Amino acid sequence: MTSDGLTLQGLILKFGILIGIIALATWGVHMIRDALDLQIRPDNEQQVHKAIMIGAMAYIALLAMPFVPGAEIGIALLAGFGAAIAPLIYVCTIAAMMLAFAVGRFLPISALERALRVFRMRRTADLVARAAPLPREERVAMLLEGQSKRVLRLALRYRYVAIAVAMNTPGNSIIGGGGGIMIIAGLSGIFTPLSTFLTVILAVSPVPLAVIFLGLQF
Amino acid sequence: MPQVLQIAAIAIATFGTGAATLSVMNEDIADLAVPEGDWAATGALDGFAFRISGEDLSSGAELKDDIIFRDGTFQSTDCEEYCNFGWSSYQTKEIDGVTHFTTTAICPDAPHTVVWYGTVTGDEVAIDVTWTTRRWYWTNQIPIRVVGKVTPLDTISG
Repeated sequence: MTSDGLTLQGLILKFGILIGIIALATWGVHMIRDALDLQIRPDNEQQVHKAIMIGAMAYIALLAMPFVPGAEIGIALLAGFGAAIAPLIYVCTIAAMMLAFAVGRFLPISALERALRVFRMRRTADLVARAAPLPREERVAMLLEGQSKRVLRLALRYRYVAIAVAMNTPGNSIIGGGGGIMIIAGLSGIFTPLSTFLTVILAVSPVPLAVIFLGLQF
Repeated sequence: MPQVLQIAAIAIATFGTGAATLSVMNEDIADLAVPEGDWAATGALDGFAFRISGEDLSSGAELKDDIIFRDGTFQSTDCEEYCNFGWSSYQTKEIDGVTHFTTTAICPDAPHTVVWYGTVTGDEVAIDVTWTTRRWYWTNQIPIRVVGKVTPLDTISG
């Protein structure tokens, strides 16, 4: 059985490597957690609280920025404090996504591009500059470059499903990550705030819900 | 709808949903369950102080403390270092020559509630404690178990 030169043995090998990476990552997270030895005691609870608040603020700000890895802060908080922190991470993720969407929707596109260049976020500014001259629907299609016309048509028709899938797709940092996707969604003007909000609530729920219901089993 | 109102609506929806989500998902942890009985503010332990030691049952950390009973109130010198709990009124009951006591200390500056339940047999005391912190995003509880002996009041500093 071959497909595009990929043999069954090759597929099994790739799957095995993926399992190996996951196992290594699991082991690594446990090592980090043990090394941190984060115990909440009466004498350090206030400091832990401050650290969580600062971490949550940084998480919202970074996650809302395109091409900035913010999800790692959320995973670090989950690894450090366990399932109990999952509701906070979930709420912060929604806040970050809606912040990015609001920036894209309400900030004039030229002002957004200028602001990004001032903050030396060149890649993001370039993304916005590319989106600026395009008609609204093509701005969303820009995120799906390389896809067939059928996929594009389906993505535009079921745009809320498409944005939920894009947010949860591993490696979406190539197209700007969650923050970049939501800024472009806002820029496109074809997403209403309410529907987008409901989409985000559902789209970002898998990880925190899994942690809450299954525990922290990396 | 004007843009400012739309932004305000998004912000309100986000924070409102966030608050609702946290209040539903944030599982409360009950304070230490103190056995029911004829608890009364007798002041039976007034004038006593105990030097106690034990451990935080969740982390295994060793704890040392001095507790004082005075004028129908109770204070833990160690807890005072972390929050200004002040003096909390305590209640007692007597069963077969053993004095049981309980008190709840509430921190005025942070959401800490510390519930104490102990038994005094002769000069010795055994106590269970829960230190519960109810933050808006989670509830954390530290269970503590300590034992100790009577100590003269003048040996306690702070």
